[in-house]
Amino acid sequence: MPPPLSLLRPHDVSSGSLAVALYALLHHFPRTFPPPPPASPSGHSKASLMDPLEMQDDSKKSNKPKYSKFTQQELPACKPLLTPAIVISTFLLVGILFVPIGLASLSASQEIVELVHRYDTNCVPLADKVGFIQDTKTDKSCTRTLTVPKHMKNPIQIYYQIGDFYQNHRRYVKSRSDKQLRYKDAAHLTKDCEPEVYGADGAPIVPCGLVAWSLFNDTYTISVNKKAIEVNKKDIAWQSDKNKKFGSDVYPRNFQNGNLIGGAKLNESIPLSEQEDLIVWMRTAALPTFRKLYGRIETDIMENDQLTVVIQNNYNTYSFGGSKALVLSTTSWIGGKNNFIGVAYLTVGGFCLFLALFFVVLYMIKPRTLGDPSFLSWNRCTLDYPN
Amino acid sequence: MAEDHGSSRHMSASQKELGDEDARVVRVADAARTNERLDLAGNAVRTAKYSPLTFLPRNLFEQFHRLAYVYFLVIAVLNQLPQLAVFGRGASVMPLAFVLLVTAVKDAYEDWRRHRSDRAENGRLAAVLSPGGGGAQFVPTEWKHVRVGDVVRVVSDESLPADMVLLATSEPTGVAYVQTLNLDGESNLKTRYAKQETLSTPPERLAGAVIRSERPNRNIYGFQANLELEGETRRIPLGPSNIVLRGCELKNTAWAVGVVVYAGRETKAMLNNAGAPKKRSRLETHMNRETLFLSAILVVLCSIVAALSGVWLHTHEEGLELAQFFHKKDYLRRDKDNDYRNYNYYGIAAQIVFIYLMAVIVFQIMIPISLYISMELVRLGQAYFMIRDTRLYDESSNSRFQCRALNINEDLGQIKCIFSDKTGTLTQNKMEFRCASVDGIDYSDIARQRPPEGDRIWEPKISVNTDPELVKLIRDGADTEQGTQTREFFVALATCNTIVPMIADGLDPKKKVIDYQGESPDEQALVSAAAAYGFVLVERTSGHIVIDVLGEKLRYDVLGLHEFDSDRKRMSVIIGCPDKSVKLFVKGADSSMFGVIDKTVNSDVVQSTEKHLHSYSSLGLRTLVIGMRELSQEEFQEWQMAYEKASTALLGRGNQLRNVAANIETNLRLLGATGIDDKLQDGVPEAIEKLREAGIKVWVLTGDKQETAISIGYSCKLLTRDMTQIVINSRSRDSCRKSLEDAIAMVNKYQSFSTDPQLRVPLALIIDGNSLVYIFDTDWEEKLFEIAIACDVVLCCRVAPLQKAGIVDLIKKRTSDMTLAIGDGANDVSMIQMADVGIGISGQEGRQAVMASDFAMGQFRFLVPLLLVHGHWNYQRMAYMILYNFYRNATFVFVLFWYVLYTGFTLTTAITEWSSVLYSVIYTAVPTIVVAILDKDLSRRTLLKYPQLYGPGQREENYNLRLFIFIMIDSVWQSLACFFIPYLAYRKSVIDGSSLGDLWTLSVVILVNIHLAMDVIRWNWITHVAIWGSIAATWICVMIIDSIPIMPGFWAIYKVMGTGLFWALLLAVTVVGMIPHFAAKAFSEYFIPSDIQIAREMKSQDFHDVTRPEVQMSTDNIKWTREFGKFLPLSLSQDAAGQHNIILHNINLGECCQCQPRWS
Repeated sequence: MPPPLSLLRPHDVSSGSLAVALYALLHHFPRTFPPPPPASPSGHSKASLMDPLEMQDDSKKSNKPKYSKFTQQELPACKPLLTPAIVISTFLLVGILFVPIGLASLSASQEIVELVHRYDTNCVPLADKVGFIQDTKTDKSCTRTLTVPKHMKNPIQIYYQIGDFYQNHRRYVKSRSDKQLRYKDAAHLTKDCEPEVYGADGAPIVPCGLVAWSLFNDTYTISVNKKAIEVNKKDIAWQSDKNKKFGSDVYPRNFQNGNLIGGAKLNESIPLSEQEDLIVWMRTAALPTFRKLYGRIETDIMENDQLTVVIQNNYNTYSFGGSKALVLSTTSWIGGKNNFIGVAYLTVGGFCLFLALFFVVLYMIKPRTLGDPSFLSWNRCTLDYPN
Repeated sequence: MAEDHGSSRHMSASQKELGDEDARVVRVADAARTNERLDLAGNAVRTAKYSPLTFLPRNLFEQFHRLAYVYFLVIAVLNQLPQLAVFGRGASVMPLAFVLLVTAVKDAYEDWRRHRSDRAENGRLAAVLSPGGGGAQFVPTEWKHVRVGDVVRVVSDESLPADMVLLATSEPTGVAYVQTLNLDGESNLKTRYAKQETLSTPPERLAGAVIRSERPNRNIYGFQANLELEGETRRIPLGPSNIVLRGCELKNTAWAVGVVVYAGRETKAMLNNAGAPKKRSRLETHMNRETLFLSAILVVLCSIVAALSGVWLHTHEEGLELAQFFHKKDYLRRDKDNDYRNYNYYGIAAQIVFIYLMAVIVFQIMIPISLYISMELVRLGQAYFMIRDTRLYDESSNSRFQCRALNINEDLGQIKCIFSDKTGTLTQNKMEFRCASVDGIDYSDIARQRPPEGDRIWEPKISVNTDPELVKLIRDGADTEQGTQTREFFVALATCNTIVPMIADGLDPKKKVIDYQGESPDEQALVSAAAAYGFVLVERTSGHIVIDVLGEKLRYDVLGLHEFDSDRKRMSVIIGCPDKSVKLFVKGADSSMFGVIDKTVNSDVVQSTEKHLHSYSSLGLRTLVIGMRELSQEEFQEWQMAYEKASTALLGRGNQLRNVAANIETNLRLLGATGIDDKLQDGVPEAIEKLREAGIKVWVLTGDKQETAISIGYSCKLLTRDMTQIVINSRSRDSCRKSLEDAIAMVNKYQSFSTDPQLRVPLALIIDGNSLVYIFDTDWEEKLFEIAIACDVVLCCRVAPLQKAGIVDLIKKRTSDMTLAIGDGANDVSMIQMADVGIGISGQEGRQAVMASDFAMGQFRFLVPLLLVHGHWNYQRMAYMILYNFYRNATFVFVLFWYVLYTGFTLTTAITEWSSVLYSVIYTAVPTIVVAILDKDLSRRTLLKYPQLYGPGQREENYNLRLFIFIMIDSVWQSLACFFIPYLAYRKSVIDGSSLGDLWTLSVVILVNIHLAMDVIRWNWITHVAIWGSIAATWICVMIIDSIPIMPGFWAIYKVMGTGLFWALLLAVTVVGMIPHFAAKAFSEYFIPSDIQIAREMKSQDFHDVTRPEVQMSTDNIKWTREFGKFLPLSLSQDAAGQHNIILHNINLGECCQCQPRWS
């Protein structure tokens, strides 16, 4: 009977001499000994070579984890340090980058000519603003005259600006049906449109919801030096909205015939994708005071020209204390006239330059050798042995 | 040895005496009747938790045990109320569903694997005796159909299907060898016996026999039962040596037949299969504190929004009716007063409540849901690297590091106190016979010892050097008194044990190799020593042993055996010698043996032996005393009757046997004593030194005697020569109290005159188990604690397993120090479970400790890389990840919050709901996980070179309230930058909500990722991919969301990306948001550098730095202890008088100061 395999335990063998191992191999396991594995320089294969048990049974294979840079957490890595040079040059770099950007945007913003005229208070009688605006019979036209301060190059954008109108109010933003706007047969998908869902006849409104219902309906007729000029109202909405978001085969229905009129009415013979005012309006503004594109003037307006604007003051911002204004503005890459971004860049750039200087001074006042072991806490308190 | 065996006492239920009422009745070969009345488990095992049907409810139920999940569920439910529907249904449920799904998939996969292995296990075949069809024969049966009472036949190398009582084996003596590797990890063969009474009976004729056994329990070392054969009234006692357990393999025995007594889940293997107890990491506990703060912030934010919305509604109340954006009334429906009904408006008070709840829903991710799943993934990753670490692999036992508990990885970086077992943990538990004192003569001079010479037929596997003088005495001195004594001594060594010799052919055909298999390494060493001196144990059966005495084979009948137990601390055999005399040989611990030795005989021998013993233990040797007595015929017969009665007793058998043993083990003649060397494991002194340098206190708790413990303490550099030792070993309550008081006075004295930490004298407390008993019995724990924390080193000797746990508890209860217990034996289980972190050494002593542990590894020295490297990393990474997750989610919430202030306080979010939901799941989750798994603040080499770098973890420097506050301030700043720069730039412009929302989404994601990038220390390609990839992923997600025509924000991102302002703002937000963090980082790293920072810099400055080899072990620790032997307290004799004593080794303070460099 052959002796039990377990007589030779791994540690017995590996701790013994090679002779013991050979002895074991020759006398107990002559046939089952497979060719030795390729020698590894690390010498780890020795153990498996010497332990016949491991050869016999797969489950007894060496458990030694395989070496790889990944498993030993030794992947090549870059270890950046915040050295004084890096810190100072970072601040300098930011400073040097930001100041010119700031200057450029400031000048771009300065070049924009912007005319803002608030008309909500002047275009209604002082007494009963809400009553006036709600009365459908009164004449709501209102003529305002403005003087252009600076030469305005075309295209000149005409915006209406509404203040304190929460187009981002939760009740408001949720109250729309984007499916209905896009698909012809989705008119019934009005779940989210509460409370502007059904018209008086009980059929669904298209477009439903508060957003569409509250469509802005002031209009502006502009003439320069008494000469009427054309306001181009084409292409004021995003092309993507016209093409994909608003269906070209979806027509307004039942719109604005409820008990309370929210704003503009829509021509039921024009598909939604052509209703650019609606499309602009339905891209709800992010902030409570916002502008929306009304149209464009495609001629230059000279300095000191007299602008006469006839406003149909229909839209009710009076009930909630909102404001209305007409804005004419030239364009540039920075968008509208806003000095903030330029000032911000200049400030940040300047501050970074200051920080760079500050750190230079600090590093000079209190220099420290990087990686000096004498700064280690246990070296500092002179005790070589903790506890 | 004392420890090993003692352990079972504390663990077992089987030591409880077996009464009839709670016995299990097994009818041999009659499974049907056995199972008839009793509800016995079948043999099918089921480790899988779920079935396809129960998976969903059960898994969900288990997952919702996490309070955080309940929180998110409540929020998701709230969101379903129409008035509160902030998010769409899908978006609100998604995060929770995602987390639940990931966990469920993980659980399902694990369970599927368990199902598969269950099926494989249950489908294995066993030969079961079947009475039907042409006489009884063994029929292959699937394991799951094996029942209690079945008779099963197992052949060599087969696994046992259930716990069985052996009935017969192929060996005529009824012996069977089993390997218990799967059960307790011990690779040596164990001997199990079939009873003589059943041995010769064919199994089918045993039908009708009844076994009464104790109820199933998890003690694998205990079993009590008796067997009643049909037609006989005598009950045959069955013990642990008669049962073979499921999971073991039959080895070296052609076949064995047994009757199943426990099956399936009632087998001892299955009962022991319970997982490690759930522990919770310290970091997680602290995290809960910060989570509470975050909840408070959440409440504050929601209250602000709710209150402001109330104010807003109040001031705008009149306008609301007609305001286009509010539309307070539903102009289509009228109520009973013919007035228009309010649309979704219930008055200001109700509105405030709704707003509040909606705010909770919107701001919910203030409490980071993804953190919990991230932490699990990170721990999994960390565990992967710990398991794969080649430096934690033990070649000798072929064992990898094991992570058994997955939720306390980071605790490894905060350990302040280590409690270590000695035997098998600090030492190898490979016993080596070193020296003997025989008949009062000391043969301990190692220099004189030689390998045994001459032509020897028997070659024991463990070779022992012999003392030529002793060899000569044995060979030639047969006639002298001294020679006889010496022979008796070695006969005692060869007989008084439970070792089984396994004989194999040697290299030289004339020689035979003997492998001594046994459960106690001490006994193996002793038997090997006896063999070296010419007393070769060559055969053992249950009834006799054969010893080759100097070439002559002699048969000794084993008439009785009193097994070792930890109360008696000794074992004995009664041997019928070839010369017809009956002798009792006893071996045991000196403390117990000197009580039963007749000191009047040979008093000078007793004295000199005592002296030798003391010097042996001072060398760190484990000592045993051997005694004997020749029994007269009357004595023997009296004993035999008592023994038989006791061993078949049903009630109180254990006690009765103990009494029988105690009665016979008296008036012994002292033969001599042995010293066995338990070598230190590799690298233990270096490891201990490193750990202490790292500021970790190392306590050693051992069952050994004081002198052994102290000398091991020296050899493993636990004790050093400049230490003052406080020794407490008291024999009475009063003296114990006095000792404690004196010790406190001493401690105070030392502390008072050395207030300067440089001048402090290191103290060592050495305390024994007896004193601990008094201390734990009374309320002096406080005093002990006071002393213990003042001491640098604490050595507890002669402690019982439960006392070990008590000591751990002492520290755990009174300090916030993180404790770690490390041990290898069953006696360490209680301690391992008590400590914050329990580590099992998978060594010689089986798997009990490993089963109970949180982590298991092969060597004590692995503690150094485990704690100093992996622990440090784990802690640092996890701490950073938690803080970062808080910061990340808070930043996002604050951005949402600022916007809410500009929406009429109505919780509108410019950021799309999908981005809100994906933010913590996709946009920012991967980088934190990758960084938390892969980032390393310091290299392994640096951490090992400067163990003090472990300190930050102990001092909780990487996660504390201060850091939390800092990072929250940073979060507020960044959210301000992120919100207000675009806000101010886009005020009064045509910007639409979606475009601005996209800008905010992108800038928040970029900010938090750059923040992370700034804190990453090591940039490897995975980190790059994760961080830059997740920014890119965010961008792609935003683009995808904006490409859906029916989303309100259709095309917004493309539109806004076409403007210069967008890019200018993105850059401005990033820079402005990061400046404070960057400047603060640059400042603090340079001007108030932490140790870690300096070490990092050193690393990058010095590439050629080579550290000392991690492990370099001096093999000769004897020499080392000898050198310091003179410092050892000689307190044994004083102590015997029942006096307390405190021995202080005064040291020269001036000398001490010299050892401390740079003292100013």
